[in-house]
Amino acid sequence: MAFEALFKPIQIGSQTIRNRVVSTAHAEVYATDGGMTTERYVKYYEEKAKGGCGLCICGGSSIVSIDSPQGWWSSVNLSTDRIIPHFQNLADAVHKHGGKIMIQITHMGRRSRWDGHDWSTLVSPSGIREPVHRSTCKTIEVEEIHRIIYDFTQAARRAKEGGLDGVELSAVHQHLIDQFWSPRVNKRTDEWGGSFENRMRFGMEVLKAVRAEVGDDFVVGMRITGDEFHPDGLTHEDMKQIAAYYDATGMVDYFGVVGSGCDTHNTLANVIPNMSFPPEPFLHLASGIKEVVNVPVIHAQNIKDPNQAQRILEGGYVDLVGMTRAHIADPHLIAKIKMGQIDQIKQCVGANYCIDRQYQGLDVLCIQNAATSREYMGLPHIIEKSEGPKRKVVVVGGGPAGMEAARVCAERGHEVTLFEANEQIGGQITIASKAPQRDQIAGITRWYQLELNRLEVDQRLGTRADEATIQDLRPDVVILATGGQPFLTQVPEWGYDADTDKSLVVSTWDILEGRVAPGKNVLIFDTICEFSGVSAADYLADKGSRVEIVTDDIKPGAAVGGTTFPTYYRSLYEKEVIMTSDLALHKVYREGDSLVAVLENEYTGALEERVVDQVVVENGVRPDEALYYSLKERSRNKGQTDIEALYAIKPQPCLTDGGEGFALFRLGDCTAPRNTHAAIYDALRLCKDF
Amino acid sequence: MLDTLLPILLFSALALAAIGAVRRVRLWRQGRPSSVPVIKGLMQVPRRYLVDLHHVVERDKYISHTHVATAGGFVLAALLAIVVHGLGLDSAILAWVLLAATTSMFIGSLLVAKRRSPPPSRLSKGPWMRLPKSLMAFSIGMFVVTLPTAGILPEGVFQSGVGWFAALVLAAVIVWGLGEMFFGMTWGGPMKHAFAGALHLAFHRRPERFSDATGGEHRSTGLKALKLDDESAKLGVEKPADFTWNQLLGFDACVQCGRCEAMCPAFAAGQPLNPKKLIQDMVVGMAGGSDAHYAGSPYPGKPVGEHKGDPHGPIVAREGTTLVDAETLWSCTTCRACVEECPMMIEHVDAIVDMRRFLTLEHGNTPNKGAEVLDNLIATDNPGGFDPDSRLHWAADLNLPLMSDKKEAEVLLWLGDGVFDMRNQRTLRAFISVLRAAQVDFAVLGTEERDSGDVARRLGDEATFQSLARRNIQTLSRYRFSRIVTCDPHSFHVLKNEYGELGTPQTPADYHVQHHSTYINELVVAGRLTFKAWKGGSVTYHDPCYLGRYNGEYEAPRDVLRALGIEVKEMARSGYRSRCCGGGGGAPITDIPGKQRIPDMRMEDVRETGADLVAVGCPQCTAMLEGVVEPRAAIKDIAELVADALIIETAAEKSPQRQEAPATPRPALEVTP
Ligand SMILES: Cc1cc2nc3c(=O)[nH]c(=O)nc-3n(C[C@H](O)[C@H](O)[C@H](O)COP(=O)(O)O)c2cc1C
Ligand code: SF4
Ligand code: SF4
Ligand code: SF4
Repeated sequence: MAFEALFKPIQIGSQTIRNRVVSTAHAEVYATDGGMTTERYVKYYEEKAKGGCGLCICGGSSIVSIDSPQGWWSSVNLSTDRIIPHFQNLADAVHKHGGKIMIQITHMGRRSRWDGHDWSTLVSPSGIREPVHRSTCKTIEVEEIHRIIYDFTQAARRAKEGGLDGVELSAVHQHLIDQFWSPRVNKRTDEWGGSFENRMRFGMEVLKAVRAEVGDDFVVGMRITGDEFHPDGLTHEDMKQIAAYYDATGMVDYFGVVGSGCDTHNTLANVIPNMSFPPEPFLHLASGIKEVVNVPVIHAQNIKDPNQAQRILEGGYVDLVGMTRAHIADPHLIAKIKMGQIDQIKQCVGANYCIDRQYQGLDVLCIQNAATSREYMGLPHIIEKSEGPKRKVVVVGGGPAGMEAARVCAERGHEVTLFEANEQIGGQITIASKAPQRDQIAGITRWYQLELNRLEVDQRLGTRADEATIQDLRPDVVILATGGQPFLTQVPEWGYDADTDKSLVVSTWDILEGRVAPGKNVLIFDTICEFSGVSAADYLADKGSRVEIVTDDIKPGAAVGGTTFPTYYRSLYEKEVIMTSDLALHKVYREGDSLVAVLENEYTGALEERVVDQVVVENGVRPDEALYYSLKERSRNKGQTDIEALYAIKPQPCLTDGGEGFALFRLGDCTAPRNTHAAIYDALRLCKDF
Repeated sequence: MLDTLLPILLFSALALAAIGAVRRVRLWRQGRPSSVPVIKGLMQVPRRYLVDLHHVVERDKYISHTHVATAGGFVLAALLAIVVHGLGLDSAILAWVLLAATTSMFIGSLLVAKRRSPPPSRLSKGPWMRLPKSLMAFSIGMFVVTLPTAGILPEGVFQSGVGWFAALVLAAVIVWGLGEMFFGMTWGGPMKHAFAGALHLAFHRRPERFSDATGGEHRSTGLKALKLDDESAKLGVEKPADFTWNQLLGFDACVQCGRCEAMCPAFAAGQPLNPKKLIQDMVVGMAGGSDAHYAGSPYPGKPVGEHKGDPHGPIVAREGTTLVDAETLWSCTTCRACVEECPMMIEHVDAIVDMRRFLTLEHGNTPNKGAEVLDNLIATDNPGGFDPDSRLHWAADLNLPLMSDKKEAEVLLWLGDGVFDMRNQRTLRAFISVLRAAQVDFAVLGTEERDSGDVARRLGDEATFQSLARRNIQTLSRYRFSRIVTCDPHSFHVLKNEYGELGTPQTPADYHVQHHSTYINELVVAGRLTFKAWKGGSVTYHDPCYLGRYNGEYEAPRDVLRALGIEVKEMARSGYRSRCCGGGGGAPITDIPGKQRIPDMRMEDVRETGADLVAVGCPQCTAMLEGVVEPRAAIKDIAELVADALIIETAAEKSPQRQEAPATPRPALEVTP
């Protein structure tokens, strides 16, 4: 049998796990009602269990005490008995499908925000500020230590009473337990700091108390780091010593191991490795821990592919693999392996849209899978065939919106024709994938391409659809997803001209697509501060250009998420790209062979100039509306999407109201530039009822 | 003159026939001994002929009528000719009856002639082409010589002038007719089938397969056990003379009608097997000589005339060629389509497995993956070589009740080796959810279960089969259950039909075994399952050989589908004529190449019905049919279709939010892959 190692059950404490695949703890940001697990939450985990995941560890960083704030990021609150019945729903939903579910419990100490809800005073062993959350805190007192130890036991009791299968004590990502462990933040001289035993004490007391509370028939695991990657932090050897020390108690049922510390922007980026990282970059650290402990070891971090997982397990590096984002992108991953549909797995591309939202306190969503965590709204991962009439659907534009629309319509059983002006589908994803270390984003397109082929969608590549071609197909539904163009005409002084030879500025797309050769001295003006600007800078620097990237915003790349901008910065600084903020591009003019860019300080109005040979402007996308307006009048719905129906995930009334002509809809950037997720979400919710 | 000549001719023909018969019997007696009740067997011939054999022949109405007219006419005419013309009993009444008999025979022979002009490819040519003419010669000759006796022509008409000449011609015609009918019958002509056929019916090695006056099911499809304790005995069949004498007799009964050939999936796929040719080769081997005179379709890709054999020479050469090539034997899927169709009740599959036994046990020569699979079975008790402790890995989340814990259960669920296959695990999960929905008291053997031995046995490895079977029987003997239910027709067949012989007084092995479709049907009839309305597309059903032809279960799966609201679109070849999926008999393991693949042909049968889905009831069929490239119909096991349609009544669940909610039917969500 293929994937034998993957499908070999394993015993963790009192529980048998049906396979070796774990969705490790992640903060979902779905526990809205004062930290209670909502219907959305339950359905999200039920889907993973239904899809075959062996063990779900839910509730990343769920809090045990009220001075570990959860309100700002809607994490699960185990500090009250009110949670117990909610857990029962959750446990039932997962158990029903043969899955197991545990929860990560923690006190985050200094690693949170205090400015909201109860306005808590954060606690930490030595009151040292945490930079990622800009959080200040007090030095914890012994009374508080004992209170929190007790809170841990009560949280564990609630998990057990709620029918969950276990708890994972978080001693990773710089929470309170590992704040005590790490000499970097624990400067205490009392019995809670200093020597190894003293630094271990808090975690040990928590472990003993929790075990005493829950007994032996309930799993208690521990998640630890394999190496903090700080010169003054815990090293791999330290961590081996710590793991062995706790393991010797016989009270820990498993260890989860994460590579890297997490309390600076730069280390944080390691923890949830984005697409610039190689596969399983920190496996060796988990393996190292496995050498010194006697219980199963779980490791997650860039394990995305079933073959990769099988190889890791077969090699005996660890006992279970976390495939966490892999499950966010496709909760049916295991089912698809078992069904022999590996090609149909939507593989996580490491865009980190999920985690980057989480760090802003926003609900976790997948860039490419709009159904994830929206199961409760009736958005399906597996689209059922329509029982209604078979429709002729024409989709124009093969970017994210168009690909998703074509896929969903085809899954519904309709006859779909997809037009794409380029020779390949993908739209802006294709452009984005040209930047260094961003090639994996094209995985989104790769999946759509396989699906569209499988679904036998008629794909007219290299074909620009016009009014006549569309009319000829006698469609019932026309979906426009034609995207747009770089918006370089907004400021006439920039000197943009459609003729590249005459134009004083070029777009980031021109650069990334290789339409314009890299200049020697390049100024990039990026007012958007998302991926395109920094990607173009990285691309040019990689090709040997001297690059300065300027923005009138806070900082170049400011809108790139928390786990992604650090890897851009690593690359840009290394290539000596100059990053300048607070300057707007006022004007560009030609002087001899050179271009002069006039920059204006946002705050003083002072002008300064740069003499360069290429000016690249990133000013977002201007929607392409021409085709829409040429079709609009002829359509039965005048191009209007009923947004009430759309937002309620209900069928569009115009499809059943009768009337003349085709129904016309617009999706994605051809309406207004938003992002990939928005485009895919709209396409899914619009088309799922066609 | 004819008055004197006729008795001489008749009795010399009979005498020659008798000599031929003795020689023929000698040929058969070269085979190994096999004790049969001689008198009882002979007494059974009329019933076996008129009921059982006719049941098969009747499937082809044309030839059935033809045969009744010709054979009935001939038997009567021959008896009366001996009385009237041989013994000279001058009875006008008998003569009239004789005239009627020869007329019937003549009409029959015209029909035979018509069928053969031109003959369909499955029929052999050669001497068989002259048979209709011989039949005519006999019937016309006898008719004409009888006219005077009946008083239609004056007595003495053949005695003068022209009469003399006519008499001479007539005598020649009669000699021809008698020669074919009497002499040829025992000296190897086409009429041999009548002689050998009748005795084959009498001394058939599977008397259980014939009906008796009490009615009921008469089926004998289990392979017979090989006695392994006798160290000196040769294992399996190496030479023609290693067959039992009544097997040789059976081969000799073949009429070369080619019905087996027309049904054989391996032949149709262009693999080097033709069951008719194989039987003829056994005849060639028994008598000694080459296959050059064989006048039917050859083994695909193997011209005739290159093989020869003798009764005491090896059938399969270790090197070079003798009578049959090994790949011919390894092409067979043991689907029994040939046996099912054979009007002469010949047992091809027994013969093939007998010869395979020798190749595997004495030569150790099982082609392609064969040796590996057998090694795996020996080492791990499963063909894939998986860790035997991993048998229940797929079900870690199902909490299956174990026999070792429960000791007794209403149903012992036999899982089969499909537990190691992800596709089949889905079927098993589906069936388990059905059992749970019907609240059946069941348990599994878990890691105590071993491969049933089916594949080992069909690959000729009788030793491994018996070892597996005996250990399974031991295990089963420890528990109490009222029936065994399994989703695997191969396990089903072996447990039901082949274990019995290996039981002992302490551990009897006569179980009540059911295929899951039969059991589900019982649950449906008992009202223990409720279904949602069927919403899928059109459905056809593929009969697994080991469920249908081997065990006669054609109706239960169809009844279950009907209960789901599905109207089955039958394939042209369904029921007892179902075409094998190609997965039986270890054929996918020995993997003998042909021009096309058997499952492709089967999916083509499916495509012809226009069905969107083909329902199956066998892990092997599922695997074979799903291996066919898309686009093709979807493939689902009956258990999956049932599970998908289940409505499970659940009590209100225990959470506070749901406490007030009334019990509501919900679909069976447990059915996850
Ligand atoms: C949205 C998100 C939130 C996470 N939150 C937590 C957390 O609260 N606690 C934790 O231990 N790990 C957290 N993680 C880390 C994951 O458990 C996991 O280690 C990480 O995603 C790497 O595994 P992967 O490559 O399989 O996704 C989070 C990850 C994601 C994507
Ligand atoms: S958002 Fe990106 S990183 Fe997160 S799961 Fe989806 S594809 Fe993976
Ligand atoms: S059992 Fe099937 S495959 Fe074998 S010879 Fe007979 S018809 Fe052909
Ligand atoms: S073996 Fe049977 S079916 Fe085949 S040709 Fe001979 S008589 Fe006919």
